[in-house]
Amino acid sequence: MVDGVLNGIPLHWYLLVASALFCIGLYGVLGRKNAIAMLMGVELMLNAVNINLVAFWRYIRPDDSAGLAFVVFVFVVAAAEAAVGLALIISVYRNLKNVDPDSLDQMKF
Amino acid sequence: MTLHQILFIVISIAVLASAVFVVTTRNLFHAALMLILSFFGVAGFYVLLEAGFFAVAQVLVYIGAISILFIFAVMLTRGMMGMPRNNSQAQGAALVAAAIFVGMAFVLGPLAATVQVPFLPNSSPREIGGIPWAYSTLPVVPDQYVFDLGRALTEPSRFALPFELASVLILLAMVGSIWVARERRPAEVQAERVEAANAAAEDTKLEEALERGSVSSAPEPAVAVAAADHH
Repeated sequence: MVDGVLNGIPLHWYLLVASALFCIGLYGVLGRKNAIAMLMGVELMLNAVNINLVAFWRYIRPDDSAGLAFVVFVFVVAAAEAAVGLALIISVYRNLKNVDPDSLDQMKF
Repeated sequence: MTLHQILFIVISIAVLASAVFVVTTRNLFHAALMLILSFFGVAGFYVLLEAGFFAVAQVLVYIGAISILFIFAVMLTRGMMGMPRNNSQAQGAALVAAAIFVGMAFVLGPLAATVQVPFLPNSSPREIGGIPWAYSTLPVVPDQYVFDLGRALTEPSRFALPFELASVLILLAMVGSIWVARERRPAEVQAERVEAANAAAEDTKLEEALERGSVSSAPEPAVAVAAADHH
């Protein structure tokens, strides 16, 4: 790697794509009506974070595996979040026949 | 333009286009398939970044497990396919997302500028957003980084504790999601309904009692205030 350019690709290309992916995911989380689509947005955001972590690891500290360890933990948390979130959505759908978070206000006091 | 640059641009377009499709399509099944394409593109990024282990992990975990979970969830909630695509705050959400992207691009813009700051050995200095850092010129040895990662994850002075906590987290998440999403027998549901009705009846009884007792219990705070004044 010569002067921060790996195989002709500078770091900020990755960062730009990751930030675009993050913002698309953010729009999905905030703007979608279906809870499953919102969870898809969360997965996109986590993927953008992972791209950033691996890119920084490769360009800045390839001799230190801390960045990669964080990627492993993001994988684990993403899997746990998807499992619990989708189980909740399926349970809510089974009981209320609805997956719109706006109308799930039974716990409102 | 080198082969790597062309690959990067193709993968970027695939990832971003499929991500946009995921957040805009009405059919959630198509959204899940496009999510898989997006995950594949991210795995391609990992290959370009010389982290092949993570490309494989991405395919196994995200495509093999999480996407399948999403497809199952979409199919189990088929009745919701016809619901509106966006909620009432979608336009504001688009504005917020665009604003955040513009902000991040603004921060990333000066990245190309070189600033001479000695930072680390074997490196050439740069800065981003006013924070100096340095690119490493070290190569990545294939396989060696996976060994190093494995050692770091099991070394007590590094990530052994977070690693064990992550194991506990995912175990709890699995058990919890099985418990939450379990299919209950009608008798069980009936028993729970009766229990809930009894609890509601208890609540109303309690409320009535409170209302009746409120007249007698009202002076208490006044007494407390008087006592406080006295001191």
